Amino acid sequence: MRSAAHVAARELRLGFRNPWAYSFMALFCLFSLSLLLMPADRLQEGYSAAAGSLLNLMLYLLPLMTLLIGSFSLASEKEEGSWDLLATYPMGTFAFLAGKMAGLAAVLITVVAFGFGLTGVLGALAGKAPDAGVLGMFFAFAAGLILLFLAAAAVIGTLAESRWQALTVSVAVWFFLIIAWPTLLIAGLGLLPHPWIKPALAALTAVNPAELVRLFVVVKLGGGSVFGPEYYAWMNWIRGAGGTAGFLAVCLVWIAAALMFSHVMWERRRTHG
Amino acid sequence: MAEPILTVDRVTKIAGGRTLVREASFAAFPGEVVALVGPNGAGKSTLIRMAVGAMPPTRGTVAVDGYEWRKHRKEFARRIGYMPDDYRFGGRLSARETLAFWANLRGVPRERVDEALSEVGLAEAARTPAAAFSKGMRQRLLFAQAMLARPPLLVLDEPTNGLDPLWQAEFVRLVRGLTREGHTVVFSTHQPEVAEALADRVVLVNRGEVREEASAAEALRAFFRPLAEGLKAMS
Repeated sequence: MRSAAHVAARELRLGFRNPWAYSFMALFCLFSLSLLLMPADRLQEGYSAAAGSLLNLMLYLLPLMTLLIGSFSLASEKEEGSWDLLATYPMGTFAFLAGKMAGLAAVLITVVAFGFGLTGVLGALAGKAPDAGVLGMFFAFAAGLILLFLAAAAVIGTLAESRWQALTVSVAVWFFLIIAWPTLLIAGLGLLPHPWIKPALAALTAVNPAELVRLFVVVKLGGGSVFGPEYYAWMNWIRGAGGTAGFLAVCLVWIAAALMFSHVMWERRRTHG
Repeated sequence: MAEPILTVDRVTKIAGGRTLVREASFAAFPGEVVALVGPNGAGKSTLIRMAVGAMPPTRGTVAVDGYEWRKHRKEFARRIGYMPDDYRFGGRLSARETLAFWANLRGVPRERVDEALSEVGLAEAARTPAAAFSKGMRQRLLFAQAMLARPPLLVLDEPTNGLDPLWQAEFVRLVRGLTREGHTVVFSTHQPEVAEALADRVVLVNRGEVREEASAAEALRAFFRPLAEGLKAMS
């Protein structure tokens, strides 16, 4: 655990000295400050078209930044020879991976927390502070996206041999999960026999972290009806007593599976070459 | 005779269908300086990376102080200080922060970081980002990293690459000091004068095979005889 903490501390230092983090922070602040431009009553009423478009904006930005920063960080450890040296230290592979991911998560979540915090403070000063519950849901949405896509970035960074490979694969994964997903989903489900559509939709929603988090936040903000009747069971489940716990459990399984896969691959490389 | 601190026993490395190292064996004893000498591409770095646990051998075993790498990875790692040849410093950490990170991982006290920086002449550059260092300064920082925990075995890959003559001499002095304290040093080089100045024993490596083990002077004479004869014929 101590080794993981040292790796995380180094990652924090590197992260906050990386110009990328500040470009990302500036862009994210711009997005979150747009909350203040919405009419105040729209933000009090929970989910609205304005809130939906802001969620979509975050859905484009956060997964891309997280995939790039996360996968670059791991691929550069291999490319720069840093992992070769660290592999000769009395440190487990899991401590290394867990430390990297914890440090990166802390950097990225700090960036979004700063953006929402700035929005809250400026909103209060301007006399139109956004509803704390709505702001909290936006933050949960952002943090959820970061954690899930960081797990995906761990897999990409593990498999990539260089930063270029990590860049290419990250952009491809982002395009597939964020941009092409709705079209592919409609096309794919249309090919299935009717009784298979609902279970397939449920399974595919759990597979795409962006869909999973978006569905949860929109339902929690009271806008579940926008998804249509196919998602009725999801809405009932999320609104139910164990909805939040169930959602967190699915997220944890997703993150744990990605980290375990990454660990197995790093360990395999360490012991088999 | 004392037990060897490093035992490399018939290691073979096959990667991408090519045999990089074939059935190589050598040992290093406490307080000894062993040089792996050979031309570029001979397999020295592969052999060194297998000796420190940075690269697993396809066949054969490596043990430090009796601890085999595959079975006792942490015990093995605690006894080794490794200086790689192809390390690139990325990010914006200063030399002191970089060294402090490595020190933390080995449980070395913070005072030792400044001491190690002074030993390699980088005390005044401690706050400079390591990525901005020249090749020679990076080599010295990596050497400081290997010495940090004062492990019984130091394994150095081309340690004098990029060092100016002054620092090559300083390196020889530092290694001699370490061996006087009982440390064992194994290093690779393609510079015969460095091997001759420093090594008690030379292991000749060529085309992935350990060709010969001999005293420094004998081995170097045998290894560089063809080159000397060629030069003589040319002149």
